[in-house]
Order: sequence, then C-alpha cells, then structure tokens
Amino acid sequence: MTLAAFIDRSRKDKEDWKYTDLNALLFSSFPRKRESIASDSEHKSQLPSNYSDCSADNRARLVFLNGVWQPTLSHFATVPSCILMGDLESGYELTLGEQTCLVAQPIELVFVTDNDAPHEIDLKFFIDIGANGRLTLLENHRASNAITTIETDISLRPHAKFVHGKIVQGGAHLATAKAHVATGGYYNNFSLLRGGMPIRNEIDVILEGEEAQAALNGVMLLRRAEHADTTTHLLHQAPQCASRQVYKTVLDGKSRGVFQGEITVAPDAQKSDGYQLSRALLLSDQAEMDAKPQLEIFADDVKCSHGSAIGCLDEDALFYLRSRGLDEASARALLIKAFVTETLEEIQIEEWRVLFRREIETWTDAQTAREKK
Amino acid sequence: MLSIRNLHASISNKEILKGIDLSIPSGQVHAVMGPNGSGKSTLSYVLAGRAGYDVTEGSVTFNDMDLLKLSTEERAAAGVFLAMQYPVEIPGVTNMMFLKTALNAIRKAHGESELDAMQMLKLLRSKAKDIGLSEEMLKRAVNVGFSGGEKKRNEVLQMAVLEPKLCILDETDSGLDIDALKIVADGVNALRSPDRSMIVITHYQRLLDYIAPDAVHVLAQGKIRKSGGAELARELEEKGYADYGCEAA
Ligand SMILES: Nc1ncnc2c1ncn2[C@@H]1O[C@H](COP(=O)(O)OP(=O)(O)OP(=O)(O)O)[C@@H](O)[C@H]1O
Ligand SMILES: [Mg+2]
Repeated sequence: MTLAAFIDRSRKDKEDWKYTDLNALLFSSFPRKRESIASDSEHKSQLPSNYSDCSADNRARLVFLNGVWQPTLSHFATVPSCILMGDLESGYELTLGEQTCLVAQPIELVFVTDNDAPHEIDLKFFIDIGANGRLTLLENHRASNAITTIETDISLRPHAKFVHGKIVQGGAHLATAKAHVATGGYYNNFSLLRGGMPIRNEIDVILEGEEAQAALNGVMLLRRAEHADTTTHLLHQAPQCASRQVYKTVLDGKSRGVFQGEITVAPDAQKSDGYQLSRALLLSDQAEMDAKPQLEIFADDVKCSHGSAIGCLDEDALFYLRSRGLDEASARALLIKAFVTETLEEIQIEEWRVLFRREIETWTDAQTAREKK
Repeated sequence: MLSIRNLHASISNKEILKGIDLSIPSGQVHAVMGPNGSGKSTLSYVLAGRAGYDVTEGSVTFNDMDLLKLSTEERAAAGVFLAMQYPVEIPGVTNMMFLKTALNAIRKAHGESELDAMQMLKLLRSKAKDIGLSEEMLKRAVNVGFSGGEKKRNEVLQMAVLEPKLCILDETDSGLDIDALKIVADGVNALRSPDRSMIVITHYQRLLDYIAPDAVHVLAQGKIRKSGGAELARELEEKGYADYGCEAA
C-alpha cells in the first residue's frame, strides 16, 4: 500500500485515524536531510558500516537496501536460500512448507537505506506457514530517510506457529500486517517502535479456527515531536480462541502516542478469552497519549477484559530509590526500564529479550544523559 | 552526632513540626514515641529529604554537615537511612537489582570501587540469611506482594547492606510477629556501633525490650514534650499520652 493509498484510507475512515494525521507527510520537509540523520549519534550510520555489527554471529539475515533484497549482503546460515522469493515490485514471498520448523534459526530481515534511496519505499510481504510449521522472524527497520510503507499478509495453517518481531528505529513508517490464524495456530507479534515521523503500526489478527491464539505486545519509546500509533484489530471468529495484548508507551518532550485496540468476538466464538492492556508513562507534561480500547462482543460465553492507564513516574518510588542513594536521573531511568519490563517478559525468545532490552536501555540512557546536562 | 534545633516544618502550608529539639550523640539509640498524627513520620521524612515538606525554621546538622542543604541522595551518601513506615512497592525492579544499584551508588559516592556481580551476590545472600529473608525474596520485585512483616524485614536488610551512619526506623516493629521482632531487633543491634546513631520510632515498649534505648522522647503535637530513660517508655505504656494534651492513643 502506497503512501497515497494510506492517506486515502485515513480520509475515508476518520474514526480509525482520529489521532494520526498523514497529511503532514505530503507537505512536510520529510525526508529529513541526510546530514541530520548522520549527525544523530543514536542512529547508527547507514549501510555498509552499520551492518558491520551484524556480521559477527551466525544468524540468518536477509538485507534489503532501499527495499531491494540484496542476496550478496545476506547471510543464510542454515536457512535454505529459496526461503525468500519475489522482488520489490511484486512483493516478497516467504513460504514455509508443512512441518517445516525454523524456530531454532530465527531469520532477521534488515532494512537499510542509503543515499540513493527514493522518497518512498513500498514493501509487500506474503508469509505463508504450512500446517505445523514454525517460523521466527525479526524485521529490523533501521532509521530511514525514506518514507517506508509495508504491507504484510500472513497465513498460518493449522497448528502453525509464527513469532514475528519488529524494530522500527525511526523515520516515517506505515505498516499493516494481517494475520489469518487457522485451528490451533499461534501468532505472536512484538514491536518496538522508536522515533516516528510518524509511525503507524497496524496489526489485524483473525482467529479463524478453533483454539487459535494470538499474543501481541509492544513498546513505543517517544520523545521530541515524535508520533507513533499502534492500532490492533483482533477478531475472534471461531470458538475457544485466546488473545493477549500488552502494550507500553513511554513519552517525553512533545511526543504523541496512540494505542487503539479493538477486540471483536463473533457470535459463534464462544469461550473466547481476550485480554488487552495498554499503559503509558508520561515523562513530560507536554507529551500526549491517546488510548482507545474497544470491545465488541457478540457471543455470550466469553472472558474478555481490557485496561488502559496513563500515568507519570511514581514520586514515592523515586523518593524511595533516591533515599537509598540513587541520583535522580538513575532513579528515573531505572523506573522507566521497570515500566517496560512487564512487556519484555512476554517475549519468549531469550535472545530477543536481550536485544529488545538493549534497545530500550540505549534509549533510556540517552534520555538520562540529556537530563543530566 | 545528629543535632536538630528548633525545627519547624509544614506540609502544604500546614505546620506539622513546631520546633523540634533533639540531639543524638554517635553510638546512641534514641526512641521516639508519640500519638498518631503527632509528626513522627514527618520528622523522619524531613530528615531523609522528601519533597513536599517545607522547613520554615531551624537547623539539622549531622556530623558537621548542614543536612537540610543536601539532596535526598546526598543525604543517603552521607549515611542517612530511613526504614519507612510504609515501604514502597516497585514493580519491575528486583530486590537484588535494587540493593545492588543502591550499594554501588553509595560506594561510588564514597569513592569506593563498585562490587562485581559475584561479590554482590555473596554479600546479599549472607545479609538476607541473617535477616531471615529467603533467596527467592531477593529475586522478586521490590516489596511487591510482600507481607507487611516481610516489607519491614526488607527495610532492615537494606539497612544492613548499606551500613548507614544515621538509622531512622519508622515503626519498623509494627506488623511483626514475635519471632520476626526478635530477628529484626538482632539485625538492628548488630548494627549498633560507636560511629552510628539511631532513631527508633515506635508505639510499643515491647521493641525496646529488645533494643535498649539510651533515651526516650515523647513527640506530641509537633514538639518533643518529654525526654527520659527507658522507664519513660514503660510509663507511657501504662498511662498513654493523656499527660501530653492528647487522648489516649
Ligand atoms: N501529605 C499531607 N498532607 C496533609 N497533611 C499531612 C500530609 N502528610 C501528613 N499530614 C498530617 O501531618 C500530621 C502528622 O503526620 P505523621 O505521619 O507525621 O504522623 P505520625 O506521628 O507518624 O503518626 P502515626 O503514628 O499514625 O504514624 C498528621 O495530622 C497528618 O494528617
Ligand atoms: Mg508515622
């Protein structure tokens, strides 16, 4: 879906786009000047130098430069190279046959841009996992100076399991992921969104078969005038499905965070179990969070709950930590990390938990350094 | 040596402390008793440097430092420690991490090297054992889901780890069963030393059977109304606070 298509949607469905305005992208000075990205020390410099930190280990990594897959820069480890097909134009296909299991070998998709990047990069992915197949995939979107759109269609056949991670390190990023989950299938999404000029991360899950499950989690870390929007639609279509969502947002400066989470339980979807939690931490009184949880339940025998809370750092806890010797900035950093920890615990892959924790620490440490100045 | 002179403090313009005078020489343990709402916790928060408490008059010096000029963390580094009446829960931070970060922050402020993970683990394990907290409690989030008594023990554990110079125990005995009271008292007594002063705030004579005080003070309506020896605590236990212009607590 192109930027134009996104904007068109946002104009048609005003309710769903109440808090995120894409019009600004049409006229803004975006993309930022390359120099400004290069001078931002938190963003690693662009390819190939930013890629050097990745080549050390043996993880399977598929590299996309300006949206174009680069087989020569990619590293397959033990993953068959035919796993990925297609091109930027027609979209990329990732197909996993029945019973194929690639969990022990997570695949990372790294998206980088360079000086030749076009104004807009429109990505499409088709992910199909056969019955009993297992796939673990991490999308890593480096801070980009192009507007990136990404549309992902996901089919999970019976009892397929897909662990889908995503890191967005900044830039304008508009994404829709739609997952169809068949009987006994499991879709797990974890998104870490930083920056945001803006970011819109939409996740639609349709639990189509009995006992299908979904777990959606995420962290948004925002400051300055950044804007990030997570919008989820969870449809319980079949009986005995379970879904769980835990989202945390930390906002500083004049940033704005949005969480819209809708759970719909169809009339036939008895014994559905849905849980949703969104919590936001405001570090500045100019930051803003809009949370819109929505439950639409058409079946009678269901267990669904949602909660949403927006708050500041706990003054009592800050005092407690300081009274034990921590300086104010360290106490704040510790509490921010603690705030997002609950979400990190939802990540089942140890390696990713470490990776996400490191990303979060980089952010809070930069935040702390800024406060100390 | 702690020296409090004519200390007045207010919370949102309401005066709570109305001229406290109190001196505690190094090595001594002083008990502060008094009816509910008399300002005991307020005094301890003012000493620890909590925001929202305005000192309008008076001075506090501790080992020749002007305590009131220091930030909360500077006071902690100078050796002030408050075992709180209501310890705070911190979800997402393990007790182990909390103790480790606190001890290293204080060591750093003293110009000492930080302890590495192994040294820290050894120290924390042994201190936790002394105070009767299991290792499992070290792995849990700070005070989250702790019973009232466990929270109080946890305060004493922090005190034992940080080895402060001025210990303020605000009703650390409330909510403790007899066995826990003995363990906590042992922990406190183990910390008694010639270069350490302690303020023990309590409602009960019982605690003072285990922690023998050098002096007992009655704080009522924002002022020290009477000071004496251990016998004063027994007298209060019998007569209540009626002599101090208050209903029996
Ligand atoms: N944040 C506050 N705002 C207004 N009044 C307060 C506040 N905190 C304390 N006070 C008042 O200050 C007075 C002293 O309270 P403090 O907690 O110091 O009493 P205390 O002696 O510790 O009592 P207790 O024995 O019940 O613990 C009380 O009247 C209390 O209501
Ligand atoms: Mg009190």
